[in-house]
This record gives sequence, structure tokens and C-alpha cells, in this order.
Amino acid sequence: MTDILGALRTKAERLPNIGPFRWLVLVVFVVIGWFWLGAMSAATVAVVLLALYYAAAGSSFNLLFGSLGVFSLAQPVFVAVGGYTTAYLYIRHGISPWLSMLIAMAIAGILAIPIGFLAMRRPGTVVTALVTLILSEAVPPIVSAVKALGSSIGLYLPVKSGTNWSAMQFASAVPFARILLIMNALFIAGFMWFARSRWGGWTTAIRDSDVAARAVGIPVLATRIGVFAAAAMMATLPGVVYAQYNLLSNTELFLGTSALFQVLVVALVGGSARPWGTLVGALVMTEISYHLSQAAGGRPGIGPLTFAGAFLIMALVLPRGISGAWAALFDRQSVRPAAGVGELLRDPLLGRRREPSQPEPPLVATHHDADAS
Amino acid sequence: MLFEQLLIVGLITGAVYSLVGVGFTLVLGVGKVANFAHGGFVGLGLYVALFMHNQFDLSPYATLVPATIVFLALGFGIGELFEWRARRAGEIGQLLIGLALLLLIGGSLEVLFKDNPRTLNGTTLGHIDVAGLRIDGSEIFAFAFTLVVAVGLYVTVQRTRWGRAMRAVADNPEAAGLYGVQVPVTQRAALAVSIAIAGATGVVVSPFTVLTPDVGTSYLISAFAVVILGGIGNTLGAVGAGLALGVIDSLSSGYLASYWTSLAPLLIILLVLLVRPDNGAVV
Repeated sequence: MTDILGALRTKAERLPNIGPFRWLVLVVFVVIGWFWLGAMSAATVAVVLLALYYAAAGSSFNLLFGSLGVFSLAQPVFVAVGGYTTAYLYIRHGISPWLSMLIAMAIAGILAIPIGFLAMRRPGTVVTALVTLILSEAVPPIVSAVKALGSSIGLYLPVKSGTNWSAMQFASAVPFARILLIMNALFIAGFMWFARSRWGGWTTAIRDSDVAARAVGIPVLATRIGVFAAAAMMATLPGVVYAQYNLLSNTELFLGTSALFQVLVVALVGGSARPWGTLVGALVMTEISYHLSQAAGGRPGIGPLTFAGAFLIMALVLPRGISGAWAALFDRQSVRPAAGVGELLRDPLLGRRREPSQPEPPLVATHHDADAS
Repeated sequence: MLFEQLLIVGLITGAVYSLVGVGFTLVLGVGKVANFAHGGFVGLGLYVALFMHNQFDLSPYATLVPATIVFLALGFGIGELFEWRARRAGEIGQLLIGLALLLLIGGSLEVLFKDNPRTLNGTTLGHIDVAGLRIDGSEIFAFAFTLVVAVGLYVTVQRTRWGRAMRAVADNPEAAGLYGVQVPVTQRAALAVSIAIAGATGVVVSPFTVLTPDVGTSYLISAFAVVILGGIGNTLGAVGAGLALGVIDSLSSGYLASYWTSLAPLLIILLVLLVRPDNGAVV
């Protein structure tokens, strides 16, 4: 096993480094994806659209998990905020979903501040997971009790005929998939920027050691809450598009048990070590799940089961996700993650300057998770 | 009269919460494992009781002891899985395994038993009438079972050699290891016991519970709520917290709108985190 890994690593080192061209690669990917979606059959587009939706929703999870190590199960709640905002505003006030995106982001950002404060006041993966899971389970019955939000039935959007860009309604699924494709590309670009920004450095420092980060003057709680709010705002966007695609917004669509966990699963399977991790995770999981349930004859309930089985295998084999494994294999300067403040403080040569030619700092430190417990 | 009735209903619901929380808090305290699959094993216990009842005409009480032993053995196996993963991926690996198991159990139950809600019919232990309320024997049994398990667990943890080892591991695994405590074995045993309690809980509450395949998630939520309220690793705290949550649930749904049932625990947890944030930060 070690020999195979060693051989792969040697091969990987010989490959050309595309790091400097990553923006170009992203643009090429979007262009190819755009036209490819147009050439797909309707059934395939439906599957890809689902993958792109989960990828966009999962990206908000991976922003938190990758940068701060925060395990938030509340992201689907913010996706639902997006869905409900667009549906409500369109039905009641005829407001375009494009504008609703901004309004939904504002609502989610405001909601996220108190939630983030309570869930992340103290470090600890488990506490955050507990609070956010309870939140996402408590929201559906509460929403179901609100008449203005359609009670337990939800909100159905009135149908416009044909293609209507301002109302975000289209005759086929392709434009929805294209919007989600652009959204994913923007998120990936955002991750690439974030990893190199000052914020990225702060979050890495906080994740490594919040005590050390606080000691050097980083506003730990404010940064945590800020990133949490940013992730919440991100999560609303796929919610808006998905509600428009389904012409529906209800709790089952966004917060049913399978919807809740699928967002999480694609994010974790993709891993957060690379910006593209979530997208790859979503495509892989949707594809595996689709083929397995086809092979099992489409028996009811087999979909969630195969999804769970594939997730268990991934969790056992690649605990840091596909991109984590990729990072372990391809990191040229081997193991050193981006040096956060915490790491510098632990360094025997305190404050030593880093060499100027560092590789791109990954969103997740390569070897840190193992120390987390 | 209504108040007494709600109180009784609340105490019975609370007993179930306590039972689910007791095992969860044990393994969180000792093993530092937030076993997300915990609720899933309660669900599995429920369906084991249903299966034995429908196929072999066995009452849940006849199933209880063998099922608990099977769950205990299963728990050791699961512990091995967690332990093996923990060596390579730490806390996150354990969260992943737990989540994957929760989903796997829910998915399997859905495939095997279909999606529609099920109940166990014809298992009765008689009933008594208190304050104009008919209380089923199975509910009283569940309540008594909770007390026995909680007290048994408390005595084991406080008074026995094995319990001392568990407390040592919960306190400081490295130091416990240096003093000769077999840390992995102790942690695995705690996990196995918690899974056995979860399975037994499912069997015990099956006569008065509506079974659905994704019932595990809601039990997981109760376990979380109980742990935050009762303190991590505190078995008696878990019982108190469970009973309190049950009573609050029942009173809020009786006197207020029904959605308060799900809102009340959330508010309490948020309040606890606001007042005592360190209570949740033990892990």
C-alpha cells in the first residue's frame, strides 16, 4: 500500500504545476460545462442539476469546516431561508428572484449572528454540531406553524409560460443548471481568494489554536461569527434557485432528513482541502447514488440506503474527502500546511520568516485533523 | 386535573429522553465520541422489537435481554470501527462514521420495513388510572427501567473498579494510560454499553411508540438536548435533564401551541449555552 502511494506521489510530482493558471482552468471549466449542459439529455441534466445544487449548498458548509474547522449542521436552514424568501416575495409582492437573492442573503446574515454567537462562543466541534443540528430539526415544525409561509404544505410559485429570466422560470432545466454552475464557479473563485486573503490567514490561525490567535490580537469570536454569517449568506443562493426550479418551497424539500444530510455528505466526501472539493464530491456522490439505485431496480428507499453506504465507505477510506486525499498526494512541498499564527508560535524558531515561494495555502491544513481530538 | 395529566405524560416522555441521553452522555464523557448513530440504534431497537413481535410473536419484554446482549456485542464491533478510524482521522472521522451509520440504519429500515408508520399491537401489561388518566403498564415499565438503568450506571461509574477506570479516562486519558488503565478498551466498553442501552431503549419504548425509519434522528436530538442540559458525562444529570425536558415538552404542548414542543427544548438549550457556555465546552 505504501509502495503504491509512494509511486503515485512520485508520478504526481512529475506532473506540471497548474497552480498559477488556476483562474484560467476555472474559466475553461465553466465554458465547457456551459455548453456541455446544453448537449445533455433531459434526464442527465436533472441529475447534474441536483449535484450542482448540493455542491453549492455544501460549499457553505465547507467554507466553515475548511477554514475554521466548524462543523455546522445549520446550513440547510439557511438554504431554506433562500427558498422561502424568494417564494414569499414572489407570491406576495411579485419581487424578482434575482432581487430576492440579495434580500435572502441579508436575512440569513442577520439570523446567523446570534446563532453563530451561541454555537461558537467556545471552541469545540461537538458543541457546534449539537446546537446547529437541534436548530435544523426545530425549524421545520416552527415554519409549519406559520400561516404566511404556507404551513406544512409550503409555498407554491405561480407558473409563467415559457422562458422568463426576470421571474427565473424556464421551460427546461438547463438554464437552472447553468445558473448553479456559475454559482459554483463563483464560490470556488471565492475560496481561492479567501485562502490567500488576510481573513484566510486569521481563520487558519484560529483553527490551529484559538488561544494563540487571541494572544496575537486576532478577534477570534468576531472572525468566527463573520465567517459563519458569510457561509449563511452563501447558502441562501442555491436555495433561491432550487425553489424556482421546483416552483415550490417547503420544509421537506430543504430540511427533510435526506435533504439535510445530503448537503453534508457531499461536502464531506469532497473535502475542503481544495476549493473544488465540494463540487467533485457532489458529482461523485450523485453519480454513485444514481447508478447504485438503478442497479438495485429503483426500489423505494434504496436511494438513501445506497447514498449512506457510499458515504460510509468514503468515510472509512478517505476521511478527509477526495480533495484531502488529493492534497496529501500532490502537495509538492509535502506536508507543511499554510502556517497559521498558532503554528508559528509552536515553531521552535519563533517568528521565523516563511520562504517566499510557498505553495497555495489549502483551505484545510493537511495534517491538522488528526490532532484535533 | 389537566396539569396533573400533563405532568404524568411529561414524566413518561422524559423517562424516554433520559434513557436515550444516559448512554449518549456516558460515551461522550468517557470516549469523547459524539456518536451520531446513537439515535439510530434506538430506532434499530424499535424495529427489532417489531420484527420479533410480528415474526415470532414474542413480546418486547421477552426480546429485551437477548436484544441487549446482541446490541452490546454490536457495540464492541462499532467501537472497533470508531477506534480504527480515530487513529487516522480523529474527531472528524468519528463524526463521519456516526453520521454514516445513522443514515445507513435509517436507509436499511426504510428498505426492509417501508416508509409508513408502524405500531406494535397487542402487547399489554395492564394499566392503572391516575388523575383520570389511563397509564399503560408498558409506560410504567419504561419509567422504572430508566431509573434502574440510571442508578445502575451511576453506581457502576462511582463505585466499581471499571467505573473508576472510566472516570480516569474521561478526566485524562494519557495519565490514565500511564497508571495502567487500558484506555482503548475502556472507551470501547463505554461505547458498547451506550449502544446496548440505546437498543434496549428502543425495545422498551416500542409498545407505545410510532415507528418510522427516520425516528433515529429525533432521538438523537433528544440525546443532544439532554446532554447539554445535564452536563457532559453526568448520568444523573442526564436523568434530571431528560425528565425536565419531557415535562416542559408536555406542558408547553398542553398550554401553548403544538409547535412549542419542538421550540421549547431549543430555547432551553440556547439559554443554557448563554448562561453557562462552558458546560457545553467540555469536549
